[in-house]
Amino acid sequence: MEEVINALMAAIMSNQVNIPLLQPLFRLMVQIPGAGFMVSFILWKPFFAALISPGFATLGILLLFFPWVERKLCGRIQWRVGPHEIVWWLGGIIQLLADSLRFLFQEVIVHKDAQRPYFLQFPFLTFIPTLLPLLFIPAGSIVAIQTPYAIQIILALVCLFPLFIIGLGWASNSRFAFIGTVREAFMYFAYEVAFIVAVLAMVILYGTSDLVEIGAHQAGWVWGICINPVAAVVFFIGAAMATARLPFEIADAEQELAAGPHVEYSGIGFGLIYVICYEKAYILSGLMTVLFLGGGSGPQIGVLGELSGLIWFLLKTFIVMVTLFVLRVLYPRYRLDQALNIGWSSLLSLSLFALALSIAITAVAGAGAVAGAVGGGIV
Amino acid sequence: MVEIKTAEGEKDRNISILKTGVLSPLKRWGVKWSLWPCHFVTSCCGVELAHAFACGFDGERLGTLNMGISRQANFIIVEGTITRKMARALRIVWEQMPDPKFVEVIGACGERGGLFWNSYNITRPSDIVPVDFFVPGCPVTPEGLLRGVRAVQHKIEGLDRTTIKFKRVKLPSEPEPGQGKENMVPSSPKVFAPTPAIKVDIRRDVEWAFGAELVKRLESELEGLYERITITDINRIAIKTLPEHLTELAGRLKSGLGVDHVKNVNVIEVPHERKYIVEYMVSGYREDLKPVIINIFTEVGRKPDGEPEQEVPSIARLWASADYSEREMHDFFGIRFAGNEWMGRNFILAPELHTPLRKDFKLDEERYVLEGETPYAPSIKPPTELELPLPPGLLEDAEANEELVALVGPHHTGSGHLRWILRMKGDIIVDVIPDPGYVHRTMEKLAENRLYIQNIPLFERANISDPINMHLGYVRTIEKALGIEVPERASYIRTIMAELSRIGAFFYDSGIFSLFLGHSTGFMYVWAIREMILEAMVRATGSRCTPSFIIPGGIRRDISREVLELIDNFTSAIHRRLRKFEDIFIYNPVFVARAKDVGVLTKEEAIRCGIVGPFLRASGVEYDVRKVEPYEVYDDLDWDITTGDAGDCLGRYMGRYEEIKESLRIVKQAVDTLKSLPRGEIISKELLGEYKAASEDIKGHLFHVYGNLVLPRGEWTTVTEAARGTLLYSIVSDGESNVPYRVRIITPSWLNLRGIVEATKGERVADFWAIYGSFGYFPPEADR
Amino acid sequence: MKKVIVHEQGLGEKVVRHARAIGVSMKESVYPLTATVFYPRERKKMPPNLRGYLMFEIEKCISCWECAFICPANAIQMKEAPNRRYYPTVDYGKCIFCHFCVDSCSSGALYSTKIHDVAYRDMDEMLTLTEEMIEQPEIIREDKRSVEYVIERDDMHLKRRREQDTLFVEPTPPVEIPMVSQCIDRASCIGCRVCEQVCEHGAISSIMDTARNVLRMKIDTERCTGCGLCVKECSMQILRLVRKTR
Repeated sequence: MEEVINALMAAIMSNQVNIPLLQPLFRLMVQIPGAGFMVSFILWKPFFAALISPGFATLGILLLFFPWVERKLCGRIQWRVGPHEIVWWLGGIIQLLADSLRFLFQEVIVHKDAQRPYFLQFPFLTFIPTLLPLLFIPAGSIVAIQTPYAIQIILALVCLFPLFIIGLGWASNSRFAFIGTVREAFMYFAYEVAFIVAVLAMVILYGTSDLVEIGAHQAGWVWGICINPVAAVVFFIGAAMATARLPFEIADAEQELAAGPHVEYSGIGFGLIYVICYEKAYILSGLMTVLFLGGGSGPQIGVLGELSGLIWFLLKTFIVMVTLFVLRVLYPRYRLDQALNIGWSSLLSLSLFALALSIAITAVAGAGAVAGAVGGGIV
Repeated sequence: MVEIKTAEGEKDRNISILKTGVLSPLKRWGVKWSLWPCHFVTSCCGVELAHAFACGFDGERLGTLNMGISRQANFIIVEGTITRKMARALRIVWEQMPDPKFVEVIGACGERGGLFWNSYNITRPSDIVPVDFFVPGCPVTPEGLLRGVRAVQHKIEGLDRTTIKFKRVKLPSEPEPGQGKENMVPSSPKVFAPTPAIKVDIRRDVEWAFGAELVKRLESELEGLYERITITDINRIAIKTLPEHLTELAGRLKSGLGVDHVKNVNVIEVPHERKYIVEYMVSGYREDLKPVIINIFTEVGRKPDGEPEQEVPSIARLWASADYSEREMHDFFGIRFAGNEWMGRNFILAPELHTPLRKDFKLDEERYVLEGETPYAPSIKPPTELELPLPPGLLEDAEANEELVALVGPHHTGSGHLRWILRMKGDIIVDVIPDPGYVHRTMEKLAENRLYIQNIPLFERANISDPINMHLGYVRTIEKALGIEVPERASYIRTIMAELSRIGAFFYDSGIFSLFLGHSTGFMYVWAIREMILEAMVRATGSRCTPSFIIPGGIRRDISREVLELIDNFTSAIHRRLRKFEDIFIYNPVFVARAKDVGVLTKEEAIRCGIVGPFLRASGVEYDVRKVEPYEVYDDLDWDITTGDAGDCLGRYMGRYEEIKESLRIVKQAVDTLKSLPRGEIISKELLGEYKAASEDIKGHLFHVYGNLVLPRGEWTTVTEAARGTLLYSIVSDGESNVPYRVRIITPSWLNLRGIVEATKGERVADFWAIYGSFGYFPPEADR
Repeated sequence: MKKVIVHEQGLGEKVVRHARAIGVSMKESVYPLTATVFYPRERKKMPPNLRGYLMFEIEKCISCWECAFICPANAIQMKEAPNRRYYPTVDYGKCIFCHFCVDSCSSGALYSTKIHDVAYRDMDEMLTLTEEMIEQPEIIREDKRSVEYVIERDDMHLKRRREQDTLFVEPTPPVEIPMVSQCIDRASCIGCRVCEQVCEHGAISSIMDTARNVLRMKIDTERCTGCGLCVKECSMQILRLVRKTR
């Protein structure tokens, strides 16, 4: 028994998040029985990655504050203020807390035409594809599950997003939800192929689909976006389509379809749907950061150890997310056929071009070592 | 059948829900800062609602995020009038919302009825849903609206209070020495002629050479079909005919003379002469016919019970533009137009309101003495059922053709205050059926019961995003009847105000258009510009949206030099923000992609459906009332008509945008001229009589001068170029009463409705909102 | 005539236009042209001619009923005061703030304030009686600053001041045009005494002419305020308002 615990401890201790700044404190904590185990368990990489950062806790904080950032920034661009009066000296920073409390305590209406069990289940089920990819996205060297199939798994889960939205719409059993669902299905096919091909281009470029390794490849300043900008553009547009950001907010067009698949949801059901869209954006932004923006690379802050990579990763992800969300102040929405046209013609051909570019670069520079080689060449 | 009625105890249910449970403080705090109003635009206060939530005041600061969908909202802001038709939607939306939910009513119409207090088609929201707070105003200011939001927040906190406190003083109790012992209550100031003599074709000798020629031509062309042809005024001809000759006469006018559209269909009931007069006002877009309005009228007998003795042949087959107005007249008077395929009900759903515009349908009279402690308001029973009927057979027909029917509105983020019935096959719209009448506030009937001067604010409410042009048209009709010349200075000020109003209306429509396409920044940017216009308006007149500033003979008061300076600055200050707006919206490639080649109306189609104003010009017809029949000082200023050829959404929009640049030119020139004009008379002394001293400011003498205004006998028709097109007023006066006998108002939005329908057919579903937005349709204006 | 021609955007123009739209949003996110008034905490300065809540000076009122007659919404109804004179009451549940009443008030008894943001709990509270319109009301104010819109040649700016804007303005009196009631055709008088009964100032009195057994009406030009009620009510329409001559 003791052996097992010891082995477990050893396994945990061998895979700790290394933070030089806090090391003395941890050493102190280790002296205390129980607390020591707690600290080392928390700092155990897979646990830390999945539940603290970039996983659950970070996501939770992000969900509480990101919509505020988005609303404030959009407000600013639109010559107004955004949420403000709730604590006006802090610019209304806890606005989302009020909104979520309100959703939590509000009546949940299931109208009589809805497919009751599914109507209630789907908002929760949607969390499966939106939360699981978090396990595979590395922030610097911190990752919950490191596997050579990370990209494939994430892509598979990302491709599940629309299914659940279609489920929501179907369970709602309302005309606008129906139209929205059909549109979602159409949009799904429009971006999916190009999106996957763009990722594939990067996989070819790096010669691996292990995201930690991909991150490590871009350790210098030569990020994926510099080597294959076309793929980055395709990925970004694909992400905008996948998260239904304007100008591709076609399935839940509020002015046309009264929010499409979400039209019948109220209270916490809508609250969940509301945050899911931010979660999706978080995952795709994280993926974009790792694939194109160098993951956790950046000037190493010595005292923070591995947290340094984490911070750079979060910062970049945040910027990508803001860019995704600020699109809504910039563009009106495309019509469905126009979006399909973009997806199936421009985007697809661009992605194929990106693929060709990757193949060409790889052929010239030799597989696997591309990033390093090109990077070395430039530096 | 569900009875609509606010039940006892409903009013504070929201608070009692919040007060229960251990987590009550958290619940209250959350709800307090997260009141999401569901976007339920019911009437014209919606304009100020938009201002309150746009960049001028930004309601989102308070945590109130405007949300389109009832299920996700917890707050209704009832924006003014709830008609009998809209009441059903209001109750449905309220029922759809999750608890706890709050209601704020803004605007006088939603309280005791405001200007429409004795209208036959309104209800009081407080009878339909429990209301937490009422905000007075017409419309309310954005501050008032936000004050209501604050009041609700305070109520959630536990501070349920009215936000004004009056101090009572003791009134004098001693009668003045020598005061009469008996006090008589004076009678109503309104004078109704008991047997008014109604004649719509009174001959007037005017110098109009083309008219004489035209009459000769008409006489030879219409040989045997007419009873008499009269020149009633410059550019106005009346032709009397028999109902059985109507179709043929119209056909000959169309083929022989090139008359191509109907401006107005009107019915005048003369009960004591046992007849209805049915009028068609037609005109043509041929160069020489443009200013001419030919009034073809016929008389139909009236049975003692009010029913017409015979049907009138419809001319909608000749001129499609007559179609909707014929339906409307059927709704109001019960006259059947034989051949018009749809003779159902549009505006009025209540069975007890059969043909309300007939004279035997009486409205409640004003009371001038306060009895007891409640002001007089007629008792109104709210409608008893929630159902909003669909055209019969529609669903079966759609199912047979494998089409999907979707009802857009009246509660829908992209519907405005009317319902659109979309029939779709896949992503293609097969047909769209408009269901107007949700804001039908019965202006024509009310106008027959009010003094001429009291109708100025009334008609202004038809469209408070373009208020000046609305009442300018009405006032011009009165001036035409009385033959008054407006002082030059007043005329310049009117022109400036009318153009500012036009600019404001364009930006209003532009904002709604961009919102329909999902572009909220476009909306916000123009609302900042509108805020500037309203600032100029409030400084000049004292009211942001409803100035009621133009009165017969001039304007209410002069505007100061500082305000003039401000308007002058505005014409150049607007450009900085406009350039940004251009970059982010007008030339945005996504917007261009959405609007270009969508909803195309060719010149012929546009004329056939009878659309007007900038939308007609965008299809290539060069017709602008300001050029064709110049009024005010438009003739003295240098500006151009804008036309286009495309006839698509982008063409319509850009045409209006260029027109606004012309408007800015007009304003600039007029302001420059006005600066050099000496201050002085702004109301025609001719009209003031004894009160000439008030010619610089009407303050103190409005009722003396205008209370007893009587128009000469006859029918007076004017057209005005409002922001969205030709606005037609036709006043019938008996020459004795100081209230109009009949006022007919045809608003541009009402005429444009058919254009929207025609342009939408065959387009994609999402294009509907692009087309709808490009037409700048303003439902209160259309429903009147 | 100006012809608007909208051409298709080519690829190059599209790129430029995208870039410009992005440029605007970047610029505005750094240096925005914000035009927001933080309403509950600050108040937009309204011009003195703003048409807001009404105030009433009872000494000036001549009870001419014109405010009630002109009101298009029938919001003003007259109420009899203890001194048997009629004074206006306003129902803000109907009032549309057109201020036709203020413009009709020849004595300047009705005047405006700048109050325009009030929320009521109950519709019955919206009736404001005469005795409540005389003193300045108190409203709940949370504002500490005032904001003024300044429109200059380049743009609109918001000018903020650390002061509470006063909501009450000095009324400007109307041009005085003294009128008096006069009988133009005494012979037609039927002696119905309507004018005497309707006059709230006791300016009209009747004397029985016993000799001819008819009532003779007499107008006291000193007392007459020129309100015109008798002119309006006269059953024979023989009264007129004329300029008062001294």
